[in-house]
Parts: sequence; structure tokens; C-alpha cells
Amino acid sequence: MGVFKGYRCVLFLLLWRNLILGEIFVHAAVETSEDEELKPPAFKENIYFSPLSLSLSASFPKELEMTDYCLELMHDFGQISASLTSCLVVNARPVKVCQNCYSLYNSLQDIYTNISTGMGPGNESCQESLLHADRVMLLYNLYNSFENIWNTAECINCLSSEHLRSVSNTTLYFIDRLNQSQTCFEKYQQGNHSELCVECRTSYKILNDLYSGMSKNKSLCIDVEDAMNTTRRLWSKDFKCLLKREENVPVIAVSSFMLFLPLIFYLSNYLHSEQKKRKLIHPKRAKSSHSLMNIQDKYS
Amino acid sequence: MANNIAKKVSWSGEGTPLLNGAEERRYSGQPSGGSMFHIGKMSTVDLEEESVTPEEDPMRRRPSEIPHNEKLLSLKYESLDYDNLENQLFLEEERRMSPMSFRCLEICRWIICGLIGVLTGSIAFFIDILVENLAGLKYDVIKEYIDKFTEAGGLSISLILWAVLNSAFVMLGAFIVAFIEPIAAGSGIPQIKCYLNGVKIPRVVRLKTLVVKVWGVIFSVVGGLAVGKEGPMIHSGAVVAAGVSQGRSTSLKKDFKIFEYFRRDTEKRDFVSAGAAAGVSAAFGAPVGGVLFSLEEGASFWNQMLTWRIFFASMISTFTLNNFLSFYKQKPGELSSPGLINFGTFDSEHVQYSLYEFPLFICMGAIGGILGAVFNTLNYWLTIFRIRYVHRRCLQVMEAMLVAAVTATVSFAMIYFSTDCQPLKKGSPEEYPLQLFCADGEYNAMATAFFNTPEKSVRSLFHSPPGTYNPQTLGLFTLTYFLLACWTYGLTVSAGVFIPSLLIGAAWGRLFGILLPIIFSTKNSVWADPGKYALMGAAAQLGGIVRMTLSLTVILVEATGSVTYGLPIMLVLMTAKIVGDYFIEGLYDVHIKLQSVPFLHWEAPATSHWLTAREVMSSPVTCFNRVEKVGTIVDVLSATSTNHNGFPVIMQASSSDEPGKLCGLILRSQLIVLLKHKVFVERVRSRLCRRRLQLKDFRDAYPRFPPIQSIHVSQDERECMMDLTEFMNPTPYTVPEETSLPRVFKLFRALGLRHLVVVDDQNRVMGLVTRKDLARYHLGKHGLEELDLAHP
Repeated sequence: MGVFKGYRCVLFLLLWRNLILGEIFVHAAVETSEDEELKPPAFKENIYFSPLSLSLSASFPKELEMTDYCLELMHDFGQISASLTSCLVVNARPVKVCQNCYSLYNSLQDIYTNISTGMGPGNESCQESLLHADRVMLLYNLYNSFENIWNTAECINCLSSEHLRSVSNTTLYFIDRLNQSQTCFEKYQQGNHSELCVECRTSYKILNDLYSGMSKNKSLCIDVEDAMNTTRRLWSKDFKCLLKREENVPVIAVSSFMLFLPLIFYLSNYLHSEQKKRKLIHPKRAKSSHSLMNIQDKYS
Repeated sequence: MANNIAKKVSWSGEGTPLLNGAEERRYSGQPSGGSMFHIGKMSTVDLEEESVTPEEDPMRRRPSEIPHNEKLLSLKYESLDYDNLENQLFLEEERRMSPMSFRCLEICRWIICGLIGVLTGSIAFFIDILVENLAGLKYDVIKEYIDKFTEAGGLSISLILWAVLNSAFVMLGAFIVAFIEPIAAGSGIPQIKCYLNGVKIPRVVRLKTLVVKVWGVIFSVVGGLAVGKEGPMIHSGAVVAAGVSQGRSTSLKKDFKIFEYFRRDTEKRDFVSAGAAAGVSAAFGAPVGGVLFSLEEGASFWNQMLTWRIFFASMISTFTLNNFLSFYKQKPGELSSPGLINFGTFDSEHVQYSLYEFPLFICMGAIGGILGAVFNTLNYWLTIFRIRYVHRRCLQVMEAMLVAAVTATVSFAMIYFSTDCQPLKKGSPEEYPLQLFCADGEYNAMATAFFNTPEKSVRSLFHSPPGTYNPQTLGLFTLTYFLLACWTYGLTVSAGVFIPSLLIGAAWGRLFGILLPIIFSTKNSVWADPGKYALMGAAAQLGGIVRMTLSLTVILVEATGSVTYGLPIMLVLMTAKIVGDYFIEGLYDVHIKLQSVPFLHWEAPATSHWLTAREVMSSPVTCFNRVEKVGTIVDVLSATSTNHNGFPVIMQASSSDEPGKLCGLILRSQLIVLLKHKVFVERVRSRLCRRRLQLKDFRDAYPRFPPIQSIHVSQDERECMMDLTEFMNPTPYTVPEETSLPRVFKLFRALGLRHLVVVDDQNRVMGLVTRKDLARYHLGKHGLEELDLAHP
């Protein structure tokens, strides 16, 4: 029982400390966000890793502890992932994730590569201690979820192929055309939409064709798709610039002509074609008068 | 209806036999009309012509020419010789063979089965690739034009373009079928079914048929008809098997001098059943289903080793196709497309089913049975019309072209007037999304169903997420496709009915699934995905049309790749068969009947025990003596009125009119070979014959024995004698005259007989029972009915 109590004590202490820390965290966040925009705040103080802090790891032997190099990497990872998160959220609607966050994503990738394959001073690797040391595998899972988002968004398609360090020219051109169309829409938005449909058709059509071309080349990412979807919805649903069914008469005429042909065909066949007759054959059978008598014998 | 035939005997078992012992005799006085009489519940025995007085006779003479109908048996169909011919030559050959060579034969059988698998799989691959590419090309061209004309105006031009393209492809397909090989028309399953039943359908397993079949399928599927390429695969597999197992091609006049032992009907038929299985297996990626198909449809002689070999052929076939497709898709070694049609897998959470859905499934089975019966009835009338009036070849080609054009037109009109627009999603199955008047970024939902190859439409109906199709779209699609498919089947193009049936069923099944939550107004998550109802609907519709049971269940289970669905699919198919059979037979059986094929079912008609061999047999029989004059033989063989194929050999009868004692049976084909080699007693004695005839000589002539007209017999030779003892079958099967029809039937069906001699107690030949004598009895609406024999 005494042992149990001792553990409880430690746990309580831990909880209590966490509470205080959380408070500090919040305060710090509020303070820093005022002067430095969107910088991850809490890590600056490095409270979590301070040697003075009361934690379980304090009692572990020296060799199981993390080296400074790894701590630094972890710190960097935390900072960049935090800024990437905020960047993603800010650009979530309308989607501009790929255009605006690719540099952060790239640096996150670099850090992660460093962690997983890089060697620090004295040929030490942080892969084991940072990525797979425990069941939660926090860094690993965090990175995976970022990567997942990035892949779903297919941002690679919109970035230039050289090292993915900038937005590709096609995408830039697309954004340019998109802006032109939007300017046109804004210009004619007031008043009759039919005027808009006529005036903006050329710029919209160029945009639409460009988009179709890009979709064939597989150079679409979520930014482009989302922008195009919105524009298309505006064009078709809001401004109602749809194509009209104007050719009902010729289509019906041709169709009914086609449908009429088989009727004529079958009718003329019925009337004019010679009906196929089959010649019957009289098979040789036993004179079965007596057999018939037998049948009747059986049943009478 | 040609019921006014001479000997029409009807007996419905449940009635009281002949009330008060009074004989009830009725003579049919009309030249036409039924001769079956039912007065009250009394059963009637209708007497035959012979007992009618001469004055009545001319009136009652049946017309010698009648319009084609289903109650006929054609003379052009012969039986296969499945029975092993144990004559002296055979015994000699067996004596000469060492145990080693028997083992070699067994190995050869396995090699042949492997070859069958490989070749069938390759053919499937060839068809698949060509269809995919040609259809892709066609749809791309049409899509481009439709997109262009939607904006610029002139959509009717793209309609005409579509119709013309379709007709052009179908014209090619119909032309080769109609003018080169008419037997390649249709799915080929009825023909293979007949072949496995023991009927020799002329030209059905020739190389020419295979070539025409393969190209015909490609053209008709690319031509946009409501057809599939799966059924013809079975025929193709069968032809491959028949060709490979013979080690030669008579069409190409090339003999590889291998597998000579297998050149007879017994062996060939076993291999054909393996080929059919390999075809099914390549078509659906269902090796077990293929084996069961062969079991269900044919092979009377079924033993464990044969099954195992057939399974081997099936597996090799699906593996070959899979392997080739993986190379084609540039993922070598990734064996993920085992069949021509891939249903995709049903393994997500949404498509589980629960116990209370079983009544719904059974209900769907019933609907499928009824719709299948409607399909078959409509097709039956249409086929009769076609046989009677559209029998000229150019007319047949024209008809096929018209159907193709109308299919395109109807599809276009449906797509044009449809207002069902769905948003284009990433990774959706629409390969050729048509926008037409939909908003940008959306596509016409009707076009996914019509503007696609049928296989892809089926898959889309199974797997598209809920909400992809409007109920109206599905309803209209079901109706039009039902009519189109019904109209298409039986055209002179080679094409199958599996895929259209699946498509119709999937469409109404999905509709059913969509309507369920609306009817019960619940948001039950089990009903959320209409995909599984599409699957059940497809099974029900297919079962309702073709009425296959065991093999179809396994095929569908294998094609969907989920054993979990086995039970519901089985229930659905059972219900569909029971309901459908109440109205009309399966489509294949209807077509077999319309072809006047003497097809033997599993059992004799139920109420036929009172018929004995005496009534069934043909009599008197043309017999030969053991040592017969060549002139007599030639005369009998070349007489046009008798085209018999088997002749009992008798001891010299003491008097001319008394039937002789049976001592053997000889076939026409053997006699022809004997005449060709001039095996006459005189020549043998004078050592004019260089060598004795061997079994090999008979095999070399197989399967195309020359007609008797091509054999020249001089006047001198006519006087020679021929000794048949060595060549005849000395122990033919015989039955006494009193044997009942079901007994005779059982013997025939189980042993695969071609001739059964009826003898009296002194072993004298009284008559001969052949397949046509048995097949003419069938259970009609009014009890036992008899079919007429007719010239082809």
C-alpha cells in the first residue's frame, strides 16, 4: 500500500504541473502572437525540455536520454509543423493550399529527412529515439498526416518539376486566366445575366479549355480544381449560361425516321418474303395396331 | 401447330383410365387442328391412321409442308458415337499397345488440356484488347463530334454519325457470319449444349467457325449492339478443344501426326467439355464455375479424372488471360483481372446484408423470373418470325444493321432528352463522360449507361456510390435496354446474352435498391448502398433468362469474389428459375427447340411409362448380312430416302421376310471407309489388298467421312462380297420389345448411345431406336405430345 501511495503522489504532482504549464502555454501564446505573427510560441521557451523540469525522464540513465542534436531537430520539427498547420488552415477555403504552403511543406520534408536518415555529430541517428521509440509515435504520425493531406491535394501537379520549389508556369497562367474571368464577371454582374453570358463567354471558354487540357495532362491540384469548380458553378448555376436544347426538331425527325425503318423492313419481309416451309417426313414405324391393343388392354 | 400427325397418343395420367371400360376413340376429321381430345377429365387414346378407313384417309393426310415451328425435329442432326466400338480391330490394337503407351496417352490428355487453357485464354485476351481499343476509338470520335456539335449546333449529324459507325461495324460482323459460317451466329451456348448432349451439330467445332466467331464478336460488341462477348468465349473454347485434341486441322489440311488416338467422338467430346469450361473460366474468371458449367450442361460420362483435367484446363485458361492482361496493363505479374468481365469486389462495409433482407432478395428473384419469362417469350416469337420470313442472307445482314442503327438512335435520344446531370468526380468510372446540356463539370448520367461498352456499364451500376443515378434514368434505361437486348438476341451476329441480361438486371436492381428506403421511409444504413441490389437484380435477371442454376451461382460468386454472397445469389437464382419455369423454358432451350435439335433431357417425359420400345422404335430396319454383296450396300447407302447411319448385321435369314438374328452393328462411316479401301472378300483372297485395314484408317477419315457419291464402285465390284465380321460392333446394346420408354431413355442418356436395337425373344431384329425416336416425345400442355420429323 505504501508503494501505491508513493506513485499516487508522483502522478498528482505531474498533473498539477501540467496544469500550470498549460496556463503558461496559453499566456505565452497570447503574448507572442501579438508581436510575431503566427510563430509557434511555446517552443521558444523550451520549457518542456528544461533540465530543471520535474519529469519521469529525469531518473533515466544517461545513455537512454536524447542527445542535444536530436532535441534540436525535434524543436525545429515542432516549429515548422505548427506554422504549416496554421498556413493550411488559413488557406483552407477557398483552397489555396498548394500555392501558399509549399515552401513550409518543403522545409518540413527536409527536417523529416534529417530525422529519419540524417546523421548528427558523432554519427548519431535520431530515427529510433524520435520516430519509433514509443507506441504513439507522435512525430511519425504527425508527418504522415501532413503527407497524406499533401498527396490528397495532389499539390505536386501544380508545382514546377524542378525540385518542387515553386508554383509551375501552367498554374500561374491558369490563375491569370481565372482572374481575367472573374474581372469580367464582376464587371457584368449587375443587371442582366444574359449580357454576361455573351460578354464573358470567350474568357470563360479559354479558361475552361485550359482546364480541360490540364486535366488531360494530369496537372491539376486542389487549388486549380476548386477555383474551376467555383467558377463553373457561378457560370452554370448562378448566371445560368447553359446551352439550350435547340435542336429538338431535327433530332426527333432523324430518330423517328430511324425507328420507322425496321417497321418497314419487317412489314415488307412479312408481305413479300417467301415463308420458309419445312418438309415433313413420315418415319418408318411398326404397324402398331396390335401394340395399341396392348395399350388398351393395359388400361381397360 | 402440326398436331394432326398420324400417331398422336395422349395420356394424362391423373384421369380415370377409360370410364366404364368403354373405349373412347376419336378420329380427327379436320386437316389441321389438335388431335388431342379431352372430354371432361377423361383421358383419351387417339388412334393412328392405319386403322382408319380408306375414305377418310385423304382428308386426314397431313400436309407435307408446314411453316417452321418449335415442334419439329430436323433430320440434319446426327448423334455422336460416344459408345466405344469394340470390334476386332480395336481389340487387336489394344493388344499391341504396351502399358507404357497407355500412360503416355494419359500424359497427352493433360498436355492437351493445358494447351486448351492457354489457347482459350489467349483468344479471350485477343478479343478483349481489340474490343477495348476499337470501342475506345469509336467512342472518342463520337464524343468529339457530340462535344463539338453541342455548341455549334447540328447534333442530329452526330446522331447519324453514331448510327452509321455502329451499322458499319455490325455489317462486317453480320456479313461474315451470314455468308461464311451461319453456325457462328448467337452465343454458341445452345450449340455447345447440344454437342455435349451428344448431338453432332454440323460444322460447330471447325476452325472456320472459330475465326468467324471471334471476329463476329469483336464487330458486334464494337458496333454497340446490346450484346456481350462472354457467351461466344464458351463456343470458342470448345472449338479450340476440338481442334487441339485432334492434332490436325482439316480446314487447313494440316496434320501434325500427333494425338491420333483421340480422333473419335468419345475422346473429342471429353475435350470439348474441357474447352467449354475453359471458355467460361476465361469469360468470367471463374474456373470452378466453368467446371460446373460443363457438368451441368453436358458430359454424361463424368469421372473424377476428367473433372480434374477440366479443372486444370479452366485454371490455365484464366491464368493465361490474367497474365497477358497484366503484361498489357504494364503491371507484369500482377494477376488481378482474371476474366473478361470483372465485377469488382464487394467488400466494403456498406454492402453487407442481413437476415431480414432475404425476403427482399427472394422477391427480386421472382421479378427476375417474370421478366426473364417475358424476355424469352418475346424472343421466341421474334425468332419464329425470323426463321420463317428473314431467312435470306442479305436480309439477315440488313436486319442486323438496322438493329445497330436503331440502338444508336435510341441511345442518343435517351441521352439527349435526359436531364439527369451528375457531378464529375475524380476516379469515377466514366471513361467517356458526355456533357451535352449539363453544367460544366457535370456529365449526363444516362450517357454512362448507354455511351459505354456494356461491361463497363454493369460495373458502374454495381459500384457507383449511392446517388449516381436517378430513378427515372434507371427505369427508362431498363425498359429500353430490355427491348433492345430482346430484339438483338437471335440476330445473325455472334454475340452473347449474358452481359445484356446482367445489365438489365443491374439497372432494375439498383432502381429497386434506391426505391426501398423511399418506400419504407427509413434511413436504414443497410439499404444505403444500392450496389448489392444491383448485383442481386443482375443475378435474378440472368437466372430468369438462361435458367442455369449451380454453375451460374458459382460463376457469379467467383466473379464478384465474395463467398458471402453465395447464399443470397443462390436463393435469387432458385426463385428466378422456379418462377420462370412456370411460364416458359430457358432461352437456350427455346432456341434449341426452334433449331429442331433432337435434344435428350435428363429424364424421359414423366407420363411415358406405358410407352414401350415397340411403339418407339423405327421398323422395319434396314439390315445387312454378315457377308453382304457390295452392290446392296452401295444401293442402300446411296438411297436418298434412307439416310440411316447404323445398320444391324444379321445372320443369313432363312426366308426373306422373316427378320434375321442379330449379330452385330455397323455404321455408315465404317462402310464408307471399307468401300473406299475396297475390302472385298474376293480381293482379300486374291491378295490384291496390300495390307489389312487398321483402326488408323478409320481415324484418318474422321470426322469428315466422304459422302457415298464420291466413292466409285465399278460394275464388277458390285458383284463382290464384303465380310463385315471384323469391323462391326459384335455386341451392340439391345432391349426387348417390352422395355418401357423411360428405361430405353435412361440407357440412351447414360451410355450416350446412338443406336439401340430392339430384339424379340429369339434375338431377331424387330426395330431400331435412335435419338430422334426418343426426342420426339415431350410433355406439352395436353400431356404427352409427339414432334414431327422434318427435312432441314
